[in-house]
Amino acid sequence: MTGIGRLLYSCMPHMNTPALLEGLRFIDTFFPSGGYAFSSGLEAAIQGGAVKNSDQLACYVEDLLRGGMSRREAFAVKWANQAGSDGDVSLAVAVDRELDSTKVSRESRMASRQMGRQVMRVAADQLRTKTVLGEYRDAIESEQAPGHLAVCFGLTLGVSGWEPEATVAAFLYQTAIGFVSAAMRLSPIGQHEGQRILSEWFPLIDRISRETDSATTMSSWSPIQDIYSMRHGRLEWRLFRS
Amino acid sequence: MTVPMREGQRKSGSRGAGASPKRKPSGRRKPSQKRNAPGRFATELVGRVGELRLDYAKSDRRTIIAHSYFTTPWKLLPPIYLDDTGAAYTLLVNPSGGLVGGDHLSIDMSLDRDAHVMISSPSANRVYRTEGKVSEQHVNITVGPGAILEWLPEHTIPFAGSRFRQILHATLAPGATLLLWDAVASGRIARGERWAFTDLENEIRITTASGSSLLERYVLDPATDLSCVGLAEEWNYVASFYVVNDAVASEVWSGLESKVAAILDTRPGEVLGGVSTPPVPGIAVKVLARTAPDLTSMLDALWAAVREGLWDLPPVSLRKY
Repeated sequence: MTGIGRLLYSCMPHMNTPALLEGLRFIDTFFPSGGYAFSSGLEAAIQGGAVKNSDQLACYVEDLLRGGMSRREAFAVKWANQAGSDGDVSLAVAVDRELDSTKVSRESRMASRQMGRQVMRVAADQLRTKTVLGEYRDAIESEQAPGHLAVCFGLTLGVSGWEPEATVAAFLYQTAIGFVSAAMRLSPIGQHEGQRILSEWFPLIDRISRETDSATTMSSWSPIQDIYSMRHGRLEWRLFRS
Repeated sequence: MTVPMREGQRKSGSRGAGASPKRKPSGRRKPSQKRNAPGRFATELVGRVGELRLDYAKSDRRTIIAHSYFTTPWKLLPPIYLDDTGAAYTLLVNPSGGLVGGDHLSIDMSLDRDAHVMISSPSANRVYRTEGKVSEQHVNITVGPGAILEWLPEHTIPFAGSRFRQILHATLAPGATLLLWDAVASGRIARGERWAFTDLENEIRITTASGSSLLERYVLDPATDLSCVGLAEEWNYVASFYVVNDAVASEVWSGLESKVAAILDTRPGEVLGGVSTPPVPGIAVKVLARTAPDLTSMLDALWAAVREGLWDLPPVSLRKY
């Protein structure tokens, strides 16, 4: 069983195959979310000298997953998954707006919103029997909801029958893949090294997916990553949009 | 099922008129419900419940304290006028020296239309070790139409073993401006005490007239894995600076953002900072610093740039050192 398969199985041992396939395409890098264009500040961190090798990359991303995302994006994904399961658009909108409030860096905010909108457009178009997705796409288009990726992703997989833990794990896995992919283009990290780093994050992703408590409040602590995300827009040369 | 996110704002009380800036603060106003809350004098209660209420209004060309109310440990000094703008400068004075476990300090502040207020504190906000209850500080601010609040307190120092929770909510009317600085130290650095507090929670929410908001909320518990300080541990000070106004043109923010970005790069290795535009009209700045002088000088430079960029005003000295 592959890494993501093992991770998902641990979170959702009774997942049925149609639900699995329905959700996997939104996780796959083949999905046209535009994620390849964003580095979430990693490009600025590399140019700034904070990330010089694969070990520092591993620490940088692990720190972000732990402090920055475990109680913010993971929290939002879990609530959105619940909203998807219940067909509760207003809940998803509330979570989306709260998440938007916390995104003080323009580039990371706009990147998250652009990818989220893309997910929701495709999901609403192709899963037409799930009316909550169409309603949420309309809420985004009418600017009632910001349309952040974590919320659109959680909502879509919730509608598709994925359990909250598996949805969080899948979201964080997708995020981790994005960092490795960006790092391979920005630094001399090869594919094998990328796979090694990725597998080292699985225990943490697994723990976050289980321990994220949606009964608490949304919070985030990643000052270094926040600062590099803010600094990205002023780099003299850039490969990525964030 | 509800999402427990948007906490209600405490409503400001009504304010009268006619008080002079020299009026001696008194505790004669009707005590708030919090003071009479059940259990206030119960023997199991640990710590102090200190309230500070400040209502500012514009009177002629000056901003005055129209109403005030405070209980121990807060003290109130009359406002100082540092320049000819009529801005009232008030120091938040807590002569007890800091917060201990169980302390619950609150500040309720309102600025009437076109008032201009500068707030700071005479020294760092020290939070002492506790073996039990959290030390709390709740701040509720309402900034009226066209009013300006420059909120620039000294940083918080959480001692080893301390527990601190700050909740600051600011609500802005159309055309209101808020400059908000919030900084925390890693501990008593000269003693080699860094990131040794038990837990630290900070929430800042700035809500504009349109209903959109900016939220910074973090919960740190260095003993746990998911709430540890992480890579920021190598720094000694973490600060945020927010400038919000919904009536300022976007090109003004763009110009200010460029100036601030240049300032943030003036101390490479000693200060790491970033600036961006938040989800409300304005700019958001994050700063990491090695030393208190680095932090203080960075604040001075950022504050001066904002005053010049928004109002073409020179910097003022807060007369603390």
